[in-house]
Amino acid sequence: MVPGQFSGDPVLSATQAAAVDDRRQQSAFTQWIDDGQGGELGQSRLLIGGMYCAACAGQIEAALLRIEGVSRADVSGAAQRAVVVWDPRRTRVSSLIEAVRAIGYGAFPDTGAQAVAQASQASRQSIWRLFVASFCMMQVMMYATPSYVAGAGDITPDMLRLLNWASWVLSIPVMIFAAGPFFRGAWAGLRARRISMDLPIALGVAVTFVASSVATFHPDGAIGSEVYFDSLTMFVSFLFAARTLEARARRRAAQSLDAVMRRLPDAVERLDAQGRGELVPASMLTVGDRVRVHAGQAFAADGRLLEGRTQVDEAMLTGESRPVDRATGEEVSAGCLNLGAPVVMEVLQLGAQTRYQRIVALVERALTERPAFILATDRLAGPFLIGVLVLAALAWGAWMVIDPSRALWVAVAVLVVTCPCALSLGAPVALLATAGELARRGVVVQRLDALEVLTRVGDVVFDKTGTVTEDRLALAATVEMQPTAPVCAGLPAGLLRDVARQLAERSSHPLSRALVQALPPADWSAEPADLLEQAGQGVQASVRIAACSLEARLGSGAWCAAADMAATVARPQVWLAVRDGADAAAAWQPVLRFEFDEVLRSDAARGTARLAAAGLKLHLLSGDQPGSVAAMAARLGIDDLRAQCTPQDKLSAVEALQRQGRVVAMVGDGINDAPVLARADVSIAMGTAAALAQARADVIVLSDRIEDLPLLFDTARRTLAIVRQNLRWALAYNAVSVPLALAGWLPPWLAGIGMAASSLVVVVNALRLTRRRAWGSGGR
Amino acid sequence: MDILFLLIPLSIVLVFLIIVVFAWALKSGQFDDIEREGERMLRTDPDELDSSQPRR
Repeated sequence: MVPGQFSGDPVLSATQAAAVDDRRQQSAFTQWIDDGQGGELGQSRLLIGGMYCAACAGQIEAALLRIEGVSRADVSGAAQRAVVVWDPRRTRVSSLIEAVRAIGYGAFPDTGAQAVAQASQASRQSIWRLFVASFCMMQVMMYATPSYVAGAGDITPDMLRLLNWASWVLSIPVMIFAAGPFFRGAWAGLRARRISMDLPIALGVAVTFVASSVATFHPDGAIGSEVYFDSLTMFVSFLFAARTLEARARRRAAQSLDAVMRRLPDAVERLDAQGRGELVPASMLTVGDRVRVHAGQAFAADGRLLEGRTQVDEAMLTGESRPVDRATGEEVSAGCLNLGAPVVMEVLQLGAQTRYQRIVALVERALTERPAFILATDRLAGPFLIGVLVLAALAWGAWMVIDPSRALWVAVAVLVVTCPCALSLGAPVALLATAGELARRGVVVQRLDALEVLTRVGDVVFDKTGTVTEDRLALAATVEMQPTAPVCAGLPAGLLRDVARQLAERSSHPLSRALVQALPPADWSAEPADLLEQAGQGVQASVRIAACSLEARLGSGAWCAAADMAATVARPQVWLAVRDGADAAAAWQPVLRFEFDEVLRSDAARGTARLAAAGLKLHLLSGDQPGSVAAMAARLGIDDLRAQCTPQDKLSAVEALQRQGRVVAMVGDGINDAPVLARADVSIAMGTAAALAQARADVIVLSDRIEDLPLLFDTARRTLAIVRQNLRWALAYNAVSVPLALAGWLPPWLAGIGMAASSLVVVVNALRLTRRRAWGSGGR
Repeated sequence: MDILFLLIPLSIVLVFLIIVVFAWALKSGQFDDIEREGERMLRTDPDELDSSQPRR
């Protein structure tokens, strides 16, 4: 899409305006956020068309911020998207769109379907331009060949003029269709009193065309009879081929977002009160609707399963490629694929409120910000372009003295060969590729600057054990007690375990559930009677085994008359006590003690080992008891640990490390301990997928895999290395090519190839970041 | 030799004609999804072409 396509009437028609201002339609691209004063602000995502460089982004931002009621506007040139925060009491979405259109760019609400339509339109445009440019170039080459191969006098002046004339005719479509974007870009820049990157190219192309045209029609004039239509068409088509490849590469970098967006179905089968299905557009769904989702279909909204049981592919949320089981009553997320069987779900959240859209919003929010080192290259591009124009003018002046017939072509070569694109594209395209690739694995980078800091991190601090453990407990040990007065003449311990399991099955306490999982099913099936559950204490029941009747209690140490012994054990525990069922006054006798332990995430040890192997120093700060923290640290191979930390202790521990000049990454849950996370140089949140909106961290690991941390550090390092390579390459290329062009050793066509290749090298280099690498398990 | 004075303008007309035909083909969506035809033999779904399901 090019600016010119939107240069028509910027004002939306009444129906279009009504559509984008309709509150229900807005939910597809807008999130409502609290403004802190009791009102709410809309945070809308817009798709921007016609952006070619980072400088356009600033212009669009300025136009949006001029609107009364817009408090924030971030535009990303690379992702072609804008995030606008606006006040619904003071402005409307249609005003935002009109403001962007008024300065010559396209703007659409960023719903999935629009993105697809715009992508296909843009792809048609670029195929068209590429075809016109290369087809005409081919033909112009044929007309140009005779003048190169013919000796003096072999070709009649009439024929030469006819060939020149034919080349001229075929250059016109190239100028109009293929070179159009360069002219429009240059013009849009000039109108905004700014030198855009298209200006040197547009100048070079225009000068070549005008000079060659004059030479064609007035061969006896001042310019001479030499024509350069072949160089011109070749230059334009090469440049355009490079741009097409570049755009394709950029799309691939941003594709992890778009690809999943397209996953949301357009039409869904909504069930009415009688259970009859009706196919309706997904945009017509409201909260509370019942929807049937067939196997192979994606869920259109966040919801709860009402009927059926299935496997769901949630890879786009977590990067976990193994399907997860979802049964009736469990929740499913929009965009995830239903793999197993047809199910019916109730819609709970729609549009921008869904979990998936919130992740997309997080990623896009990060993509629209410009980290410090990108700002530096952006600032460099402006003076660089002015320098190029001045150099070209000076070269022209100097060659007018040395050899006037070559002056024009040397100036054109200087204009064409310089490549500020490589300079301004080198960093953003690499960051975009990285952010997209990490998002695909379930790692969301919220602050792009964090990638740079990650490469300097020397210490990783795990804040609390919850980040390395699962949220369930497992049976670690069973201890048998010697009862002082045997009940039922010494029941075997195996039988007592069966009793414990029977009781545990009748309680919903997490420890009971862990016990049920750990103990084998009882092969004895007497129903416990007189069941009594005491909240916070345990369960009690009477059981008959063979001829013996006994009462059993399962629960806390105090409940089972073992308070003294319980105090000596650090781990969470459950006791089993029995007494003679016939004697209600008998004392409870503790017979079994079950000790529990937190379960390490299955990949935690592998993950920390890799982090340590990468030369990072690991620390564990925990509020738990020293015993369990030490056991955990030993299993993870972490030497430096501190137990029973208060939040203040954690803060001072991080500060102490920083005073030693260490750069600290903090791994926490992103919600609690916010001050510690904020103090660390980089904060990484894990296990927060449920409370995504509140997570305040530089990086959010949705997948909850510790193994993704080494991947994150490694990717950050590779990204920075590639950014540096790109900048070095861009500087070196310009430093070599400009003097060559000034010296007159670069013909314009070679300059064109050089410039096209140079920006292509940068993009392709950045794309290496998206190459799949076999990393860990469970990933894709 | 003189025939070239006719043939060269004719070749220009031909070039424009080809460009127009290509424009028509592009506009009717023939290049929107070039991988699809190649993949079609691998599909088992007989009415894939008029299926309303979005392709992934």
